[in-house]
Amino acid sequence: MKAPRLRNALSIGAAGVIALAAGLGLALWDRTPADASALLALSLPDTHGTSQSLGQWRGKVLVVNYWATWCGPCREEMPEFVRAQRELGPKGLQIVGIAVDQPDKVAQFAKELDLNYPALISTYEAVDIGKPLGNRLAALPFTVVLDREGRVAHTQLGPLKPAQFRAIVGALL
Amino acid sequence: MRFDRFAGTFAAVTAVGALGVALSGFGQVNPLAPDRVFRFTAKLIDDRTIEARFTIADGYYLYRDKMHFAVEPATAGLTVPPLPEGKVKEDQFFGRVETYRGGVVVRLALKEPKPGQAVVIAAESQGCADIGICYPPITQKVTLPIPEGSIVPAGSPEAAKKTWFN
Repeated sequence: MKAPRLRNALSIGAAGVIALAAGLGLALWDRTPADASALLALSLPDTHGTSQSLGQWRGKVLVVNYWATWCGPCREEMPEFVRAQRELGPKGLQIVGIAVDQPDKVAQFAKELDLNYPALISTYEAVDIGKPLGNRLAALPFTVVLDREGRVAHTQLGPLKPAQFRAIVGALL
Repeated sequence: MRFDRFAGTFAAVTAVGALGVALSGFGQVNPLAPDRVFRFTAKLIDDRTIEARFTIADGYYLYRDKMHFAVEPATAGLTVPPLPEGKVKEDQFFGRVETYRGGVVVRLALKEPKPGQAVVIAAESQGCADIGICYPPITQKVTLPIPEGSIVPAGSPEAAKKTWFN
């Protein structure tokens, strides 16, 4: 009577071990440190047309956020970035927005939002840099968090929840 | 008996652990490719009218003002009617924004189709997913052979009337 139950339990257990291994493998594979050198080597114009290199913010906890004015979910998460920049900027946080958009629209939206961090202008081609970092569809918003050494600490496709964002950058500052 | 209990506990703990780790791996949104969720098809419904259709997956939507159509070769000429009205959303930055969900059908008209030749209908679209991401604009193409045979003269009332429907 007990033997089938035992066998069942062991089978489930074995399946659990296999699933655990698969899940762990996938999770580790997903977290393989990505190379941010292409991102840090990127130079893009700001809304005034002045070229800005992302490498200039090396040494800070750098949050690169790909967005666009036509992307609703992007605009919804940006007020939190403005707050975080104001509160955590003095501690070494630097947020940089890369807008896949027209400069005039970006400038207008930046003014409306009182954007307190740089808004660089990009083409869709520049979004491709995010592909090896996990944004295979070049979708928006896409956020890359780099530690002070320029290593990728987190990538996020889709909006970051404020608490999640604070926890990620808080651990790096 | 003790071993039995141990096996049961072992099964439960590993299953929960596996689920947790698997879920943590999938913590990020994992959207489908835009050409899979915004499927574009087109067909000739008479010798100069094309029915262009977007079939939009649940949980995804397209922007009306980002939808554009073109024909190759350009000499075939394309008349694009006003697009069907979408669902109106008031956007604090853009004002009135219209979106399509489920699908949208547009009847396009060829001005100078050449029987026996093919035309390519290129449809540009841009949309987002409810999970909170937006895709870059994509262009999808459908090749339509124009059958041999008589072509109704341009400007026929029948072709002009069938401009679009929802």
